[in-house]
Amino acid sequence: MSNKVISLRDVTRVYQMGDNSVHALRGISLDIEAGEFVTITGASGSGKSTLMHILGCLDRVTEGTYELNGKDVSNLSREELANIRNKQIGFVFQGFNLLPRTTALENAEVPLLYSRPVVSVSERREKAMKALEAMNLSDRAEHHPSQLSGGQQQRVAIARALVNEPALILADEPTGNLDSKTGEEVMRILQELRESSGITIVLITHEADIAAYGTRIISIRDGLITDDVPNTPIGRSSPDTSTPIKQAATAN
Amino acid sequence: MLALRHFLSLALQTLRRNQIQAVLAMLGVTVGVGALVTSIALSRGAQQAINEQLMAVGANMIVVTSGNYQVERSQDAGAVEADHGSIEPSDSITPFLVRIPDSQQLGQSQNPRFLTADWPLSDAFSSNARTSMQSPRFIKAHYEDDPNAQHDHPTAAERLGDTMAGLGAAATLSVDDAQAILNQLDGVQYVASGVHENARVSIPAAGGRSWFTRLHGTEPDLPQIRRGWVFPHGRFFTQDHYRNTEQVIVLGKVVADRLFGADTNPVGETVELWNQPFEIVGVVGSSSWAAQPAAGDDQFDAIYVPLSTVHELLNLSMLNTITVTTRSAGETTAVAEQITAMLRQRHGISEQMPDDFIVRTQAEQVLGNGLPPQVARVVSGNMSTVDNITIEQISHSLERANATMMALLAGVAAVSLLVGGIGVANLLLLSVTQRTREVGLRMAMGARARDIASQFLIEAVILCLIGGLIGAAAGYLVSGSLEGLLQWSTSVSIVSMVVAIVVAAILGVLSGVYPAHKASQLDPIGALHHE
Repeated sequence: MSNKVISLRDVTRVYQMGDNSVHALRGISLDIEAGEFVTITGASGSGKSTLMHILGCLDRVTEGTYELNGKDVSNLSREELANIRNKQIGFVFQGFNLLPRTTALENAEVPLLYSRPVVSVSERREKAMKALEAMNLSDRAEHHPSQLSGGQQQRVAIARALVNEPALILADEPTGNLDSKTGEEVMRILQELRESSGITIVLITHEADIAAYGTRIISIRDGLITDDVPNTPIGRSSPDTSTPIKQAATAN
Repeated sequence: MLALRHFLSLALQTLRRNQIQAVLAMLGVTVGVGALVTSIALSRGAQQAINEQLMAVGANMIVVTSGNYQVERSQDAGAVEADHGSIEPSDSITPFLVRIPDSQQLGQSQNPRFLTADWPLSDAFSSNARTSMQSPRFIKAHYEDDPNAQHDHPTAAERLGDTMAGLGAAATLSVDDAQAILNQLDGVQYVASGVHENARVSIPAAGGRSWFTRLHGTEPDLPQIRRGWVFPHGRFFTQDHYRNTEQVIVLGKVVADRLFGADTNPVGETVELWNQPFEIVGVVGSSSWAAQPAAGDDQFDAIYVPLSTVHELLNLSMLNTITVTTRSAGETTAVAEQITAMLRQRHGISEQMPDDFIVRTQAEQVLGNGLPPQVARVVSGNMSTVDNITIEQISHSLERANATMMALLAGVAAVSLLVGGIGVANLLLLSVTQRTREVGLRMAMGARARDIASQFLIEAVILCLIGGLIGAAAGYLVSGSLEGLLQWSTSVSIVSMVVAIVVAAILGVLSGVYPAHKASQLDPIGALHHE
């Protein structure tokens, strides 16, 4: 029926720490459909970061299968995974991870440097500028991260995540380094982004009020999903996940 | 490389962030490349200086001299007696005889190269030559021709005086011969004919202070032949002087120093020669360490007067010498042979008769200097083999010294480049550690291992190139100042600078390989969470 962006089947992830085996994920099965805003919550050590790395193709499953956009990526090579990260996934990190002494525009261009086929200089510039405009940062394009506020920096990071037009945005505690007001602002931006473009967002947080911005909240504990419920996002009337684009149209 | 500019700015960031390490690392590369450029410049400069000196000495020069006192006697000593009955061995006039081994023997035995001459050799004919089965060759020369010999009777010059001695009966070369050599032979560059006399120059103004020296009546082209000449004052006489048979004179440095003092400019002064006033138009010195002016030498303890003037004043028409230069030093032997053939034909000399002139290359003359005259003649009699060897030996020994210096500097360059390379590698390892998070981020954004590796390789190459460019410029400046301050010959070639910069780039790749590999193998998750 609807198209699944993410499909995990009985995924486990075991780390070898010396003689001990650490079971970070003990068997996770999960489907996420296009346009969902899924927030994953869990305490420290619950396995949510490991799940995030696997979803982001930074790490590989020990057992089970992971299908991203209908393609099994469980056993791809490093290079193929890099290519998938480049094209299909946009990352937003807690620490922003912008390149210092590099303008906002150049920061937003970074994923395009690694795109194959090669993207021309002018096209890189154009795409990065468009992404910054979507974040209302076009007047900050030539600023260095040190000249931007925390919220602006995170918006640059979101612009960077969007620049290659991925299907999925993975946000790892994006509000962790921000005060609550700025955090709310960033969350609203992500919310509006989903509603206007239909992009799928998976967000990891340990704060319940941040998780409340999602259309679906998944709780993890000891490497297992303990709860998976639809949610009415903060500031939105219904838990409607199927018509985000329509909503966006009426919102304007 | 579309992203080159991005990586360039990253490299400059690395540079800025680790200034001290970057400066130290680049310093090594700079010194290495600078030493490389300098050593090549010095080596090339020395090579050019050697060539110039050899040319200045006149490695490409041939001198044809009137008359021939060196008549070779082949096979049978008795035949010479018959051919040249005028020279009789007797008590009063002893001919100049030197025994030399034949060429076959010369080739086989290295030592002695020639046999010691016994002179006077009054019984040479009776004992040595006739009984020897080795068929020695003899060179016979007029005894008065030996400048070092002591005579118990007045020589021609002494009997007749300077002005009267003239050119003697042996003046067999003509101005037409000189023209023919210039116009008809290939490989000839310049020809200057000359008359050579001993003469006394004096300054009437200074109470007749005088100097007895060698006079050369010659042509205005002579400075083209004497490449080692410089004119500290004035210049050589001109075609106009020559055509108008003017009484102008060029003094050798030694003569000018003796007559006027070392630092005086005598141009415009008048000296007296043959009781005639001559105006000084120039002083000639040497640019070559291989031929420094010295009293008694033939070039600078000498005076130069237009040949036309000499011919007119002394009522002469023949020449003592024709000096010829070839376009290259390697052609001298061939051109010398052509000159011999041409002059024999022009002088109508039949096959059995000896030359009435002597053709010698400058190498023979140089070799002859400072040798006992009889030995010098032996040497020049066998020049065909000796001249090449000697000039080659001179240049070889100079080149060997040069190669040693070059090797030393190249060693310095190699050590500096090694140190610089290690410095750059170290800087990059530091940079990889500092930028682990950045590497993780780039990997998350889709950078492949080879993208990361090439980023660090580009950085290493850029660092080394910056060092290399500074080094090449420094090498250029150092070479220039060595030339300016120490008078060392240097020659900076564009090729050597390009090579040095390429070496720096290769060094960058080599020193960047390990850090780049290390960065590219980082685990993206670990790198992302690296603090």
